[in-house]
Amino acid sequence: MREPHSIVCLKVVPKSEEVTINPDTRTLDRSKARSEINSPDMNALEVALSLKQRHGGRISLLSMGPPLFEQYLRLGLAMGADAAYLMSDRVFGGADTLATSYALAEGIKAIGEFSIIFCGDESSDGATGQVPPGIAEWLDVPQVTYASRVQMVNDGHVLRARREMGSGFETVEAPLPCVVSVKQGINEPRFLDFQRYDWAMSDAAITIWTAPALHLDESRLGLAGSPTIVAGADIARSFERRREFLEGSAKEKVDKLLEKIRPWLRAG
Amino acid sequence: MAATDGAVSSCYQCGVCTATCPWGLLQEEPLNVRSLMRRAQLGIHQDGEMWWCTTCRACEEQCPRGVPIADVMLALRRLAWQDRSVPEGVSPVMWALHWDGNPWRRPPSQRAVWARGVNINRFQRSDEILFYVGCTASYDNRSQRVARALAGIFGTVGVSFGTLGDEEPCCGDAAYALGQHDYMKQIVKRNAERFAEEGVQRVVTVSPHCQDMFLNQYPPIEGFQPLHYTQYLAQLIQEGRLGFEAEFKVKATFHDPCYLGRRNGIYDPPRDVLAAIPGLELVEMPQSRADALCCGGGGGRMWIETKVGERFSDLRVREALDTRAEVLVTACPHCIACLEDSLKQTDSPMRVMDVAEVVVGALSAGRHA
Amino acid sequence: MVESLYPAGDARGIWVYLEHTDGRFEGVSLELLGRGRSLADVTGERLTALLLSGDGSALAEQALGYGADRVLFARHPALSVYTTLPSARVVADLVTQRRPSILLLGATVNGRDLAGRLAVRLRTGLTADCTDLLIDKESGILSGEVTGFGQGILATIQCPDTRPQMATVRPGVFARPVFDPTRSGPIEGIAVEIPEDDLRVRVIRRSPRRGADITQAERLVIGGRGIQGDFALLRRLARALKADIGATRVAVCQGWIGHDYMVGQTGSVTRPKLALVCGASGAMQFTVGIQESETVVAINSDPEAAIFEVADYCIADDVFQVLPQLIEALDQKAGRKG
Repeated sequence: MREPHSIVCLKVVPKSEEVTINPDTRTLDRSKARSEINSPDMNALEVALSLKQRHGGRISLLSMGPPLFEQYLRLGLAMGADAAYLMSDRVFGGADTLATSYALAEGIKAIGEFSIIFCGDESSDGATGQVPPGIAEWLDVPQVTYASRVQMVNDGHVLRARREMGSGFETVEAPLPCVVSVKQGINEPRFLDFQRYDWAMSDAAITIWTAPALHLDESRLGLAGSPTIVAGADIARSFERRREFLEGSAKEKVDKLLEKIRPWLRAG
Repeated sequence: MAATDGAVSSCYQCGVCTATCPWGLLQEEPLNVRSLMRRAQLGIHQDGEMWWCTTCRACEEQCPRGVPIADVMLALRRLAWQDRSVPEGVSPVMWALHWDGNPWRRPPSQRAVWARGVNINRFQRSDEILFYVGCTASYDNRSQRVARALAGIFGTVGVSFGTLGDEEPCCGDAAYALGQHDYMKQIVKRNAERFAEEGVQRVVTVSPHCQDMFLNQYPPIEGFQPLHYTQYLAQLIQEGRLGFEAEFKVKATFHDPCYLGRRNGIYDPPRDVLAAIPGLELVEMPQSRADALCCGGGGGRMWIETKVGERFSDLRVREALDTRAEVLVTACPHCIACLEDSLKQTDSPMRVMDVAEVVVGALSAGRHA
Repeated sequence: MVESLYPAGDARGIWVYLEHTDGRFEGVSLELLGRGRSLADVTGERLTALLLSGDGSALAEQALGYGADRVLFARHPALSVYTTLPSARVVADLVTQRRPSILLLGATVNGRDLAGRLAVRLRTGLTADCTDLLIDKESGILSGEVTGFGQGILATIQCPDTRPQMATVRPGVFARPVFDPTRSGPIEGIAVEIPEDDLRVRVIRRSPRRGADITQAERLVIGGRGIQGDFALLRRLARALKADIGATRVAVCQGWIGHDYMVGQTGSVTRPKLALVCGASGAMQFTVGIQESETVVAINSDPEAAIFEVADYCIADDVFQVLPQLIEALDQKAGRKG
């Protein structure tokens, strides 16, 4: 079996409960929020690490963001990845999923030949789930989304995966190379390997790319390259529970409850 | 052998450990501690049995050779991390420590929510004590009541204290208990530097586990004096700063938390506090002090599933019920959780309370008099 | 600026992509026809249903009855079970030829799989998981309301310049339209050619879920000590709510239900949209298993129970009084819709 080269896309996201809306500008304020690696991306990395454990090969990490993302990529190296690439340039900022998937696809092309691209199914901030299929389209390769189990079969040429469908699952086979988006929570990401830790944190070289370095078409990047716009934003809910006591007789409480949870009741 | 620093070499295989281990009370096959030690001596692969240990140290209490059995268990866990073979549920705890600063996956920004409505100041070096709340008392709504009780007592007595608010770091106990000692060392080093910078001297903890970490795992910091709150309250009583006027009539029994009693020899201070309360009748369980039966929560077991019918706290609660006490008093957030969980399975009106909650009860009895 | 494959000025019509399995529509497809109908009525445009199928289907007629003005019906063996590339090709080709203004899809697993790919192929904007859709009568611009940051932030997204304006919508957001058998319209057969290359991904097996995997539950009804073993009651509630069942450790310990259903630190960590916790006191070892729920409802006879501190809606009452009433009210609601 030829040894696979997996590329795992990692996104660093702010902790959702610490993001606020600036009341004057009605825009997102992430400045005081702590960050973490998007949780499903950790699940995706764990899938790649398990495959590497079984079949050998190597894992490259790719991320797009400001320089502070570097320390998070290093955590991925400490978990067991081999190389890390950070696309960092002001011009990438403000990108929606079209511009983001375009940029990441170009980054992947610059990294080189790959067997599988792994992504988390969606990110905790935008939660669109659109970047992995977008990347697959830009790269013109097949995609397997919402995967929970991944195996390599046919001597490493075919990927067999289980897709979580909600009411059940389906098993698919896709030729390599392909893009796989991994469903949130389907495994336990391994903790840092302290035998790699010092190398990962200091000695490992992270490749940092700006837009010109990759010869990217700037009109396709960032805000300029984004067909969607945010026309308005507001706080939706507090992360603290409401703790609202419903009063009255049992029947009255039930009626009030049904009013409150109406949005969560399936129509019909 | 190397992993245990030769600690296991003095074991001569007498088997008293296996006989003492509380697992033997619950299972057909006891945890074969003796055989675990033997395999450790020979460097033979273990089957994951070391994860059963709650590090209660009942075996160490009886071991004729003074083998630090709990340390051996933890060293074996450390090796398991290196082999990447840790049980389910354990890696997520480490990531929770990393991303959230607590093992419960609770948002770091909500660490100080327990203090809402209570007047708590930020610690300053001129304060008498740093009140170190700890992760469980910060986030677990049952244990938050203990934190509030203590804050209330300090306020009543007039102790100058402060907390580190939502910047309070985790003491690192979960990493220690689950064998992730490389990570624990990072946590400990970082925290020790912070404490030194902030001029932290006397620290009063809610949990005996936090105190144990500060006492035994942290590098020396000048003037650093970690106390469990029962020790501090006992001191305040001795100094005459804390006293009780009215009768607080209750029949109570005390469960010695392993990490307070056997681990650090703190048996008298909680009893001294209870003894200072007029009207409180303390009945001891047959297995108390150094013989106390573990609640089952130590050694990282709070994060590892324990099957039905295999919980130490079920037995401990039965022992407590036999004393006919109204209140089962303890002094550890893990003990409260385990004991209450087991008590829920019975129909008994007996309650579990922390020493701090008993003190608050006794103080307010005075006010209603 | 991004340019789509055709200018906004040329775009007309609202299209809905219909998802179906084993001869039945996915609920969300009908909901989209209903909403699409209202949007089309605002702007005076035509509502077109896109039906891709492996063979002849009565679904095309049904689509008209649920509100479509016409159906574009593409048939090909490769379309009998959904895989991305054949469907993407058919839809993209049709869109490029016919130039709709809006394309709506259900935010199901496959809906999102397809939409994400299509949006790039069409070089256009896609708004995911909308909780509402509004249209401006003059400009024909669609506004999609979405949440982000763990439902903490509500935003309005638009796609002003590129076409089609794409959006996906979660099941259950919009009401299902009433079927009107008198509605009629053209059903246009679409000739389809799928190249070999698009057939590289195969579905080998489809399986219904066996056993409990409550970590994926969207709605959960959880029983604790207070329900005293009456999981039959809880199951009736779960059925009425179309929810899954969960249990606290105490309930499992008592042998009332299997360990697979246990929610908590050492059981399953769940992230449902709605969690209804009945008769549980709320120990932290349990609540960590539901802390990421969108909404938590707690019912417990003890008003001081810790569970109320981590709930949005609190009912301090006897579960055996509340649950039967709740089940009855839900059944009535469903009955009325029927």
